Amino acid sequence: MTTTTPIGAPAPTGEPPLAASPGRRTGRRGPGPLFVLPFAVPFVLFLVWPVLQGIWMSFTDSSLALRDTSFVGLDNYAEAFGDPDVWSSLGNTVFFTAASSVPLVLIALAMALLVHSGLAGQWAWRLSFFVPYLLPVTVVTLIWTWLYQPDVGLGNELLGALGLEPVGWLSDESVAMWSVAALTVWWTVGFNFLLYLAALQSLPTVFDEAAALDGAGAWRRMWSVTLPQLRRTTVLVAMLQILASLKVFDQIYILTKGGPNGSTRPILEYVYDVGFTGYRLGYASAVSYVFFAIVILVSLAQLRLFRQED
Amino acid sequence: MSSSSHPREVPAVPGPGPAPGIGRRRLLRYGAAGASALLATGSLTGCSSRASASDASALNVWDLFQGGDGMLMDDMIRAVSKGSDGFEVDRTILDWGPSYYTKLAMSAAGGRASDVAVLHLSRLAGYAPGGLLDPFDLDLLAEFGVTEKHFTPAVWARTKHEGVVYAIPLDVHPFIVFYNRDAAEQAGLLDPKGELAPMGSPKAMLEAGKALAEVTGKSGILFGHVTDTAQNWRQFAALYAQTGAAFTLPDGGPAEIDTDAAVQVVSFMQQLFDGRTNPNNLDYNSALAGFLGGRGGMAMLGEWELPTLRKSGIPLGAAPFPQVFGEPAVYTDSHSYVLPHQANPDPARRRQAHRYVAEILKQSLTWASAGHIPAYQPVLAEPAYAKLDPQSSYADAGKVAVLDPPNWFAGAASNFQNRMCQPLQSALLGNTSAEKAVRQMVREANTLLRQPNPVA
Repeated sequence: MTTTTPIGAPAPTGEPPLAASPGRRTGRRGPGPLFVLPFAVPFVLFLVWPVLQGIWMSFTDSSLALRDTSFVGLDNYAEAFGDPDVWSSLGNTVFFTAASSVPLVLIALAMALLVHSGLAGQWAWRLSFFVPYLLPVTVVTLIWTWLYQPDVGLGNELLGALGLEPVGWLSDESVAMWSVAALTVWWTVGFNFLLYLAALQSLPTVFDEAAALDGAGAWRRMWSVTLPQLRRTTVLVAMLQILASLKVFDQIYILTKGGPNGSTRPILEYVYDVGFTGYRLGYASAVSYVFFAIVILVSLAQLRLFRQED
Repeated sequence: MSSSSHPREVPAVPGPGPAPGIGRRRLLRYGAAGASALLATGSLTGCSSRASASDASALNVWDLFQGGDGMLMDDMIRAVSKGSDGFEVDRTILDWGPSYYTKLAMSAAGGRASDVAVLHLSRLAGYAPGGLLDPFDLDLLAEFGVTEKHFTPAVWARTKHEGVVYAIPLDVHPFIVFYNRDAAEQAGLLDPKGELAPMGSPKAMLEAGKALAEVTGKSGILFGHVTDTAQNWRQFAALYAQTGAAFTLPDGGPAEIDTDAAVQVVSFMQQLFDGRTNPNNLDYNSALAGFLGGRGGMAMLGEWELPTLRKSGIPLGAAPFPQVFGEPAVYTDSHSYVLPHQANPDPARRRQAHRYVAEILKQSLTWASAGHIPAYQPVLAEPAYAKLDPQSSYADAGKVAVLDPPNWFAGAASNFQNRMCQPLQSALLGNTSAEKAVRQMVREANTLLRQPNPVA
């Protein structure tokens, strides 16, 4: 808001900014930097600075309480690597990422293909696939908490109607994370669906038509023509999805608080528990930087893998 | 209610500048006014009292009372705001839970905290030693008519850190049992006066559960604990204290716990919630809903549920948590007033803060109508309190109060309670044995004890 009026509007040099050659710095004296400021200042203030501050904190015994902070070197990192809770919550995060990303990509693709194939009532399908994504996390979690109720929930009602035993959706350690993944898929699949649908709609139809002329059936055309053309979208969707799933926190925190018995506690909740509920900001920073490093590694590996495939 | 400030604030900024259209200054001002209006509506959810946020002399008070409790607190603040020496109070209501304690700690660490705040007494050990709280001046409090002798020794003992008083308790809120009077009567559990008769032994409690289940046709005793971060621990702590054993968390560890007694208690809980006469897989809300729907004759809950339960119209009785082992003991916590640390406290405001706490305590009868037991004893002696039913029937719970073992990581909404609940939940669900659950509890407690203390 602060820069909507051109404070230094007339370019001081009088040089027409558009005429400047794009490669040369000297030619770029226009008001450009000023327009970038509203983004750059908060970015530095609220992202770059805290990241640096966090790195520093991870080498101290900094606490939420009032007390002197002292430098402890790599102690926090040593503690983190020896902390079984770090490893178990990291394992939970990885498990959740696998359990949610695969269906989130495949189901989104299937949904997009279905809608694109020309089903009747397209708008209704699109709407119903995408609308859950618009709901806030608290609402989604509240709905699913009721679905998962052991006593009166729809989930166990349905199982009962089929003559099956009730399931401890949120209380059984081996089931709880799947319950979280199911909720997440229902909630967020609409976004991936939209990306796929957009990609499908922008595909050139010539290949498909040529294949049809050559006598390829619908399945053949999908496998050999449509899907290969969607590879770039799949790479994008998978990358975005894996990064999003690694960051899981909100729905778990509201749904299970990490229980039962820590079986759904993701690493970010552990960071939150240690840092904010337990005041140990220094240690929490160290754990979060361990995780940060892992995320960077995963991203680099993905980039590399997909680039080779391309 | 607080949203009423929204339309008021924006037009209050006239554009004095001669500039035609929207000038820069004007735009900035609108922006700032809009932002502050947004902030104001964001932080003051729910009903706020007759607060005037702009008035620098208003006393800043933070609390975590929402719903029925919040409205009663409004009434109490209104009562102390009357008259020529009434208070001007700027009340901020924050959500209960870990986030409240994070915010309180951060504001105190910053040195610009509110004048008065509410703290669960069980959290004192995490706040007082770190310098997050300023001590009360007992002489000043006495001047306003509140002294040590107005509190029970069990509760008063917990207000101190190294002999200095840092908290003034407003109430004690025990974990109690509510029962359906009709069901309890049919099950033959009432005494001649129509109150719940003492249980006296684990066997009697188990039989009571069976009898109630027969009457309701569904369940006997309801208890919601799945995915809860406190319930299991509250029940365990009460029963464990009844065995007479101590659970202490000495700095540096290891935790001192009588494992035999703990296993005995967990086994009893498993028997009580066997999944047949009493469901073992309920969460908090389904236990509450089950009791309200007549699917159970008794429910183990906090007394703060009283207003909800009373509205339902079921014939409601309440009693202290049944004594089934050797000694009477009830798991309790206490909302208390503290002075969060201020770097440069204004002596006049501090004086007002003391007077405010004293005056609010004297309004405790209003507070008692929510189900809480006033910590300020003179109120308990008033005939009006004796008339409060069923509140007066569990007033004695305050005398046998058991709080969390004091340590920086324990207390309401803490990691400790959550970590204790997890193995207990597994045991109740039948996924692990009582012995294993207790071993894990000890292990978890020792893990917490081994951490460097961030507040010392």
